[in-house]
Amino acid sequence: MTKTPASSYPDISDILARKAEGRQESKRRSFGEKIAAMEALRERLAPLRLARQQRREPEKS
Amino acid sequence: MGMKQTLDVINRMEADGIIGRYAIAGAVAAYNYIEPTVTEDLDILVSFDERSAAQSGLVTLGPIFSWLKTNGHDEFRNEGVMIAGWAVQFLPVANDLDAEALARAEKIDVQIAGDAVTTRVLRPEHLVATALRVGRPKDLIRIAQFIEEQAVEIPVLCGVLERHKLGPMWTAFCARTGIADPCGLHGLP
Repeated sequence: MTKTPASSYPDISDILARKAEGRQESKRRSFGEKIAAMEALRERLAPLRLARQQRREPEKS
Repeated sequence: MGMKQTLDVINRMEADGIIGRYAIAGAVAAYNYIEPTVTEDLDILVSFDERSAAQSGLVTLGPIFSWLKTNGHDEFRNEGVMIAGWAVQFLPVANDLDAEALARAEKIDVQIAGDAVTTRVLRPEHLVATALRVGRPKDLIRIAQFIEEQAVEIPVLCGVLERHKLGPMWTAFCARTGIADPCGLHGLP
């Protein structure tokens, strides 16, 4: 019986570290900066929210 | 249109006596302390004239909505009234925890995209205690964020939890999330 070779996966620790650093940066922003960032994000997400609402509407009816 | 304009309207309501003292609560208040998450709503914890509430035992939001309608804000979304792009939910003080949270809310000056506005925000320990009491999955995640990001003063939080008899819920939360209980309330009611 042949052994299945062990899977090898890339090391993503540097990616995770950068993400953690980004979260820290985001946390350190001022209250006003966070609000402005969230308002901008909400605008960018608006089409997705609309699409979700439209998907849900036929389910309800 | 944006949060600055929303807060300007709410400040005018307070100045006109339509609402009493108010403070930002919920997810937006948490922005003041931890990494922000997207939300559609702006929760406003608000007090009313104590005499009128004590007489009837009821609090009505009628005067708020009437004033807002007169001032051009009559669109509702997600149970909130739309003010300058935010669905604002007015939450009357409904228990001792709310009353303490509002009394101790912090007055701050906020700069949003270059414009300044003054407002109040609930303190982190009261946000955590309220989230614990509400107890939805997203509230519990927020509590974990506050703890992980060391955004609460632990002795202050423990005092709030003890005063408002949230010991058992706190102990259960710590057990469920694997957080070492920093208060050591051991389920005290």
